[in-house]
Amino acid sequence: MRPTAANRFLDRLCSTAGRVVLTLSLAAAVVHGCGKPVEKRDIATLRYRLSSDPSTLDPAHSTSTDSGVVVLKVFEGLVRFVPETLEIVPAVAQSYDVSPDGLTYTFRLREGVRFHNGGEVTAEDFRYSFERVLDRRTRSERRWVLEEIEGAEEFSSGETEAVSGIDVLGRHVLQLRLRRPFAPFLAQLCMEGASAVPREEVEKWGEDFTSHPVGCGPFKFVSWKHDVEVVIEAFDDYFGGPPKLRRVAFKVLPETSVALEEYLAGELDFMDQLPPGRVVDLRQNYPDEVKIWPILATYYFGFNHEKEPFKGNRKLRQAFNYAVDREGICDVIQEGVPVPATGGVLPPGMPGYDPDLKGYEYDPDMARRLMAEAGYPNGEGLPVITLWYNTDPGHQRICEYVQHCLKKVGVRVKLKNIDTAAYWQAMYAGEPAFFRTGWIADIPDPDNFLYTLLDSKQFGAAGNSTWYSNPDFDKLVEEARSSTDWTERQRLYREAERIAVDDAAWLFVYYYRDVAMVKRHVKGIRFSRQGDFAIPLDDVYIDAGG
Amino acid sequence: MYRYILKRLVLTVPVLFGIATMVFVLMFVIPGDPVRLLMGQHGDPDTEAVIREELGLDRPFHVQYVRFLGRLLRGDLGRSYRQRRDVKEILFERLPATLKLGTAALGLAVLIGITAGVLAALNRNKPVDGAVMVASLIGISTPVFWLGLMLMLVFAARLKWLPVAGYGTAGDLRHLALPAVSLSMVYIGYIARMTRSSLLEVIGMEFLRTARAKGLGPRAAVVKHGLKNALIPIVTVIGLNFAGLLGGAVATETVFAWPGIGRAMVDAIRMRDVPVIEGGVILLSLSFVFINLLVDISYCAIDPRVKLEE
Repeated sequence: MRPTAANRFLDRLCSTAGRVVLTLSLAAAVVHGCGKPVEKRDIATLRYRLSSDPSTLDPAHSTSTDSGVVVLKVFEGLVRFVPETLEIVPAVAQSYDVSPDGLTYTFRLREGVRFHNGGEVTAEDFRYSFERVLDRRTRSERRWVLEEIEGAEEFSSGETEAVSGIDVLGRHVLQLRLRRPFAPFLAQLCMEGASAVPREEVEKWGEDFTSHPVGCGPFKFVSWKHDVEVVIEAFDDYFGGPPKLRRVAFKVLPETSVALEEYLAGELDFMDQLPPGRVVDLRQNYPDEVKIWPILATYYFGFNHEKEPFKGNRKLRQAFNYAVDREGICDVIQEGVPVPATGGVLPPGMPGYDPDLKGYEYDPDMARRLMAEAGYPNGEGLPVITLWYNTDPGHQRICEYVQHCLKKVGVRVKLKNIDTAAYWQAMYAGEPAFFRTGWIADIPDPDNFLYTLLDSKQFGAAGNSTWYSNPDFDKLVEEARSSTDWTERQRLYREAERIAVDDAAWLFVYYYRDVAMVKRHVKGIRFSRQGDFAIPLDDVYIDAGG
Repeated sequence: MYRYILKRLVLTVPVLFGIATMVFVLMFVIPGDPVRLLMGQHGDPDTEAVIREELGLDRPFHVQYVRFLGRLLRGDLGRSYRQRRDVKEILFERLPATLKLGTAALGLAVLIGITAGVLAALNRNKPVDGAVMVASLIGISTPVFWLGLMLMLVFAARLKWLPVAGYGTAGDLRHLALPAVSLSMVYIGYIARMTRSSLLEVIGMEFLRTARAKGLGPRAAVVKHGLKNALIPIVTVIGLNFAGLLGGAVATETVFAWPGIGRAMVDAIRMRDVPVIEGGVILLSLSFVFINLLVDISYCAIDPRVKLEE
């Protein structure tokens, strides 16, 4: 560039600065002038907050609630849960039978069920969908959902070209044979991973099926603008009848306090989570809009049973349980949302929950006595214990409170805060001796807590991050999971749970309840005990006069 | 000058190689297992092993590194572990939002910062100077996150002039206003202070006296001649800030739910989505290199005495 041209340019730049200021002022005035009245009722569209962009919309890979909330509306499987009771009812299947030995499941599919691309859903589609999840090339994180089907393992490892336990007995009859009786199987079939997907669409898009999902659920996919919005619209040929809503717009708003402002400004109809510290005042000011309901989840602190000082020291673990004021955590820190875990492992509402099981109440005197019996009177001789938690202001407040409670009985606790990725790696490698964690059930079956988190076959990454091991417990759970008699299963799980509580396998803290804000004009919502992500929207509508 | 540009472009290659190596090593050594995060809390070890193998994460460091470099040489940034999409697609779909916010914020910062800096310099040691310096200090010191929330509470929640958050449609300036203003504050402060100090350095120089002798008023002389001579450090600050804005607007993007590269990068770091992190760092490094080059070239235009060939 020649200097003369540069000079001319700079001259112009300087002399026009004033004009630019004027123009911007005018633009600001226009923006102000066209400030719209924000509340505008659109009775066809529900605006639903997502706390993060879904990582996928492919049911074979859906593991997070932000994916699940959309996937569960677009896809459908053979069976599904009733949201309030979590009873299993037929979905694409019209009916099903389970053989007396619990090995064979026969599903008769509804005729005329359509995918969103117009194709009919047949038994062959389910065979394809299940084999896709089990195929190692799919790299599905949900392979375990179907792994109890006979021949699944051989198929996954590439030894066979088909899963021997899946039989298509007719265009609308599907039979699944299991390798052993496995009672939670039907519940696992309700998960996203067991949804029907149309072969032609998956083959057309390959891995990009995640961005072009086609299912047979009540809503069909419209658009996904990453980090902004996912839009789905009513599928009028849905076998359960067309949904009442025409569209659902899932708006990605990561910051909860900002989402609340959007909600209060009338830009959202449903928002999950509430900002910490705001629950009490929102409940007072919007009593009809704040919804709190129990879900199947337990918040706890893990002791590593392979590490000192907790290894083999049941009295010390019990002392910790008596030392912590759960009411304080629930009422003060968590603003009255969760319920203190003074029972056992299973949260209320979980099938098999034992209302008579008495766990640990806050009793510092008892804690001190047990500390002495454990060999650490007033905490003497007990090293400083490091409590690990993943970065989150809510976890931090709880950990600080637990630190304070334990200090009262002579236990010195040091807090260690690391990011979730590093925390998970350390936790599943058995590094921390004492750590916070929690579990939201995948399925409403006690097995999903007791086997997954406490059985000694599940050490480490499989779920048992505390390395808790008790042969009596393992035996009872193994018997329970292969029994087909629910009464017997319940008895066995309850017995096993009592062992875990008596062993103080965890430091039980609270049972979760979900909290959300829903506008008064939103009607027909059925709150799911799985959590807000599983709320079905087929019957939801917006009342213009509500 | 062309030789200089060519030389700088060639030098970009070792710079990028160094950055790529550094980010690869860092991602390899920091704790956190991407496969563990993909699986969720209920993982089955067999599937975990399969995924690890498919992603090549079971291979030794040197094999992964060579594969990574090979991919880079082919211009392939890889596929996201989590989203199963091309990293290029993920980054480029966010680039317009990032550029829109960065340009708007920097445009405001340049306009207001230079004006305020000139006013302060012209009124040295007077109340206007003091006010500009205090305001710029406040602008620099105010956390963007907090400022964003405050602006939102006042202009969106209370006055309802503007939307609370979100991207809106491509041409929608209403959604851009609050994030751009909150992001620009800190840069307004930097530019105002830099403009003031640069101008004060040239204000006593002889060419300004000459300009005055030719009949220009004191303000016109400073604005027309002084400012041009004080521009080099200001342009340097603007250039570096713009490059920083492209990846560094994370807090603003999070508060205002703005779908930019910074937010994508933070999500990727949180979930250890290594290809997205590597691709993002390389893209941002490239933009740093090119913006710096543009700044250097602009020196020539601003000051004819600068010869890039030397």
